[in-house]
Amino acid sequence: MKALTANRLTDGEVVFWTGADWSERFIQAAVFEESDVAEGAEAHAKSQFTLVVDPYLIEVAPVGGGLAPVSYRERVRAMGPTNKPDHGKQAVGGDDIAVLAGAHGAARSKGRVDLIRRK
Amino acid sequence: MYRYDDIDREMLADRVAEFRDQCGRRLAGEMTEDQFKPLRLMNGLYLQLHAYMLRIAIPYGSLNAAQLRKLAQVSRTYDRGYGHFTTRTNLQLHWIKLKDAPDILDELAGVGLHAIQTSGNCIRNLTADPHAGATADEVDDPRIWAEAIRQWSTFHPEFSFLPRKFKIAVTASPKDRGAIRVYDIGLRLHRDDEGALNFEVLVGGGLGRLPHLGPVIRERLPVRHLLSYLQAILRVYNRHGRRDNIHKARIKILVASLGATEFARQVEEEWSLTDKEAVDLPATELARIRAGFAPAGFETLPPLSATFESARAADPALARFARRNVLPHKHPGYALVNISLKSIGETPGDCSAEQMDVVADLAERYSMNEARVTYEQNLLLPHVKLDDVPAVHAALVDAGLATANIALISDIIACPGLDYCALANARAIPIAQDIARRFADPALAETVGELKIKISGCINACGHHHVGHIGILGVDKKGEEFYQLSLGGSAEDDAALGQVLGPALSADRVAPAIDQLVEVYLRERREGERFIDTFRRAGLAPFKEAVYAQAH
Ligand code: SF4
Repeated sequence: MKALTANRLTDGEVVFWTGADWSERFIQAAVFEESDVAEGAEAHAKSQFTLVVDPYLIEVAPVGGGLAPVSYRERVRAMGPTNKPDHGKQAVGGDDIAVLAGAHGAARSKGRVDLIRRK
Repeated sequence: MYRYDDIDREMLADRVAEFRDQCGRRLAGEMTEDQFKPLRLMNGLYLQLHAYMLRIAIPYGSLNAAQLRKLAQVSRTYDRGYGHFTTRTNLQLHWIKLKDAPDILDELAGVGLHAIQTSGNCIRNLTADPHAGATADEVDDPRIWAEAIRQWSTFHPEFSFLPRKFKIAVTASPKDRGAIRVYDIGLRLHRDDEGALNFEVLVGGGLGRLPHLGPVIRERLPVRHLLSYLQAILRVYNRHGRRDNIHKARIKILVASLGATEFARQVEEEWSLTDKEAVDLPATELARIRAGFAPAGFETLPPLSATFESARAADPALARFARRNVLPHKHPGYALVNISLKSIGETPGDCSAEQMDVVADLAERYSMNEARVTYEQNLLLPHVKLDDVPAVHAALVDAGLATANIALISDIIACPGLDYCALANARAIPIAQDIARRFADPALAETVGELKIKISGCINACGHHHVGHIGILGVDKKGEEFYQLSLGGSAEDDAALGQVLGPALSADRVAPAIDQLVEVYLRERREGERFIDTFRRAGLAPFKEAVYAQAH
């Protein structure tokens, strides 16, 4: 399963594609079962270059109570820095953040590394 | 301190106006991200994990009170009320909005600050010995030369698109406090037997994927030829640097592949063809820059201060602070006061806006309006009267800035790592926090003595892990954070690259492993040995055995 993420152009905020627009909360992310649908959404996101920067697909998987990104990097993005619990999305709290915070599991993720390097 | 003149100010104003226009066009959709990204990077604006990050240049780590207050105000107004000082003596703001960036740069320009030379394949912001102008062992103020290079290299058209970024550090003391052996070019000022000033020129140092210590390519370069000689080095690099492979594009690879002797020969050849007069700094210009660093009215004082001596006899916390953080000054009756940004459990290098304001006030009142940033992610007041040290200490205590741990095991360098950095493999900050907490007892930390731990969240090595007495590198092992330890590195006079201890450890095993390494050291050390000395004598084996024993 995949979700589509990016950073918002105006302020760099981490956002997720809901299927209709971009949300700051991971819980509102559209989840793609089919890879061609996911890739279609990614292609569409790339055309929205006045809204977001470097959109890319991430792996998500069920965890206790919901879904969470599989890679640690993406969980940090979806919550905020672990050294400052009062910064980032985790500062607002909520059930969805609790789900993310409780998630384990690992997967390699390069995030935007390749997008950064290619240019 | 050097003050920007009208030309500098005009240049900054033009630059801000240009960037404001570029940001406007990007936000209006007149530019794609591919077109805009190099432009924002040239203005120090990166996109990180959670937001944009603005990297503000602090040339040779020198700040006056007005600049420090401005950094405080900008971080309060446009960020989350703090900043992160880096191993390049820059300040990073981690929560910046693109739409605010031109206003921020405008505000910074008002006090002669900017984000030029903090990104891109150009000559980057210069670093220098943080003790410049205050230490007895220097032969000149290295900042004069760093400022000359800054002015020459800023927007230098020939060197704006080098094969890769390019970093220069300048010191003027036999003791290396600027890590010059891990720089693309390290410059060390010294006097020859006739008393003339020369540079020792080291080229091709660097950390990252393929670490190298820079070899000396010229022992005595007359200072008046500094710029023409730098030009010759950069021309050889520009011509032969590996633009085809980003991992091999730094000058260290070129120097290593040619060999230092052949590289030096090519530089000398290029230099012999150079019209030196046309490039070298005119004496009048040097004098103008030098005047900007003229010592500011030191008083004639007795070498000992009764006020300070009685205060430290009465206050053990001040006594400890004096032992760890206060250093002798070249002028009797003065001292350098280190301000640790490594209070136990906090993020190394982070400084709140309130703390910046406190340091600005102290700099203004007690340190001739100067503060410094060190590459070890601390601050420093360079010119404090011994009489004033108790008052400075008291103010630092109130601001949570009086941790007496300079060069001790809790004075850890850590890059932002996976908590902020888009390139990271693993977090660095929580590892540093874990270790510091274990050695929170100041008496224990002092018993262990000098021990430099340096942590990077990826192989780019911004946390200098290769040259830590204990280096810690975050790696991604099947998607999990693991940490590779290395021992025996140093960035100082005894510069060395660390040796890998063994297989990478999981995050929860790192701090216990540090404990085990310290136990071995305390057991094995001989009189007067620091951790690194014991390691050099005893070798890797006893340390390795202690950490990996249970695994067998
Ligand atoms: S070492 Fe790696 S993780 Fe750390 S700041 Fe540098 S690029 Fe980022």
